[in-house]
Amino acid sequence: MAQLSGETVKNLAREIFDYEITDHDARSVASVAGAMLTLSRQLGALPLSGIGPAFGFANLNAEAARLNAKKV
Amino acid sequence: MEILDLDVAALAERLRSKKISPVEVTKAYLDRIARVDEKIHAYITVTADDALAAAKIAAAEITAGNWRGTFHGIPVGLKDLLYTKGVLTTAGSKILAEFRPDFDATAWARLKAQGAVMLGKLNLHEFAYGITSSNPHWGICRNPYALDRIPGGSSGGSAAAIVARTAPATIGTDTGGSIRIPASLCGCVGLKPTWSRVSRYGVVPLAYTMDHVGPITRTVRDAALMLNVIAGHDPNDSTSSREPVPDYTANLRAGVKGMRIGVIRELMDGLSADVAKSFQGAMRQLTDLGATVDEVTIPTLPTANVINSIATFTEALEYHDEWMRTRPNDYGADVRRLLESGMAITGVAYVRAQRARTKVLADALAAMERHDVLAAPGSAITAPKVGASRLVGEGEERPRAATRADIEVDAVDKILRFTAPFDCTGQPALAIPTGLGSDGLPLSMQIIGRPFDEAAVLQVSAAYEEARGAIAAPSI
Repeated sequence: MAQLSGETVKNLAREIFDYEITDHDARSVASVAGAMLTLSRQLGALPLSGIGPAFGFANLNAEAARLNAKKV
Repeated sequence: MEILDLDVAALAERLRSKKISPVEVTKAYLDRIARVDEKIHAYITVTADDALAAAKIAAAEITAGNWRGTFHGIPVGLKDLLYTKGVLTTAGSKILAEFRPDFDATAWARLKAQGAVMLGKLNLHEFAYGITSSNPHWGICRNPYALDRIPGGSSGGSAAAIVARTAPATIGTDTGGSIRIPASLCGCVGLKPTWSRVSRYGVVPLAYTMDHVGPITRTVRDAALMLNVIAGHDPNDSTSSREPVPDYTANLRAGVKGMRIGVIRELMDGLSADVAKSFQGAMRQLTDLGATVDEVTIPTLPTANVINSIATFTEALEYHDEWMRTRPNDYGADVRRLLESGMAITGVAYVRAQRARTKVLADALAAMERHDVLAAPGSAITAPKVGASRLVGEGEERPRAATRADIEVDAVDKILRFTAPFDCTGQPALAIPTGLGSDGLPLSMQIIGRPFDEAAVLQVSAAYEEARGAIAAPSI
């Protein structure tokens, strides 16, 4: 289990996101996000070798082309 | 037959043959909204004057012999997440409470080009980030079958309006189940097409890589008719697919004889007795119609909920980052908490989730190698009471007299885990009612297809719908 504390969440929110979060909310977020991070590690147990994220150059290129095209 | 009893297909036939006029139809729906929406709160904005003006134009065009297509003169409602030029588009939020876009979302633009008449903008969970549609800014949307129950969400208004007969067809969006959950809990048809099948241009995003736009309707045929109009490549959405758009109504009467349906083992546990019985009954009916039904397994499917959550936490926060800094108190408590949770999700977790997503899709496709479609319940339960469903991180007010265990419903375990996997895989998935439970509330199942094979999903769903027969409408 990822050991994420409310204090850590408060500091993260303040120092990275410029966002103030209450102690109560920070504890709740720590519980939720900690669980997610733990589950994320478990995803690493899947046979992901050789699998890349499906971001893809085709999408990148198409989006860039759209930005340079006149809006339809 | 009363106008409000007619589905889109029947309305279109009568409009085209000039047996009824778009003005009559629009007035019937506006009258119905005026009579019942106060109880349901399906609408955030009713555009009555604009609707009547559009209906008059449609009437003149049809009278002059210029019928533009199925939706010419048909009233529709739009989830208030879709941009509508000059018309309030709130996303169910306080933050966009006065936002009037200067262009239309492509899905709406395509319906409008065919002469559809917009009745108004429909209530939703704030910023589409939740499944209750208990909106703190615009009113609690309620289930037409029982006003103390949620309609589901986030497209709660879009489904409630169909069932309350305050719109014959609506558009919803789906990132974790937001078309299919309200369709399931309200008792109507909700189709999440393949990711990229319908343009997302002009739709307020929740999670870019998993947002889908699709129809919510009374019948399977109506969903096919709407998909015929809104599907297809859009130069304004570079991710929208260039796959050809078939006529989705072509195989609706082809039946299921010889088709192979795989029931997803991983989604058959934890069902209420009513859901289990109803789902098994639906599978028996499909077998009686000539389909082969057996079980398939997708071992990685349970991980899809984690993948969906991590991707949504991250992508949603990126969109809301600026407002979270400047207007945090303008969010409802539950949505703000979910956005705050995104702050602690790491980049490593996000990329790993996206890699694992590929694996889940590969496993789902492998499970479909010998099947035309897959099937699963729409949810494990019928609609929870307002205030009873809990998403991770949600903090709603609860009645003091009841204990948490008495009233709390774990929305992830009972609802989202049935729908979110197919946002993760991007496969088309349709929710269709299978009857009413012992509590009088709608039950449903999902039919899931291969990417871009909405036609098979619709074919199986249409055959089942015909065999199932009518379901008693709610009395409002």
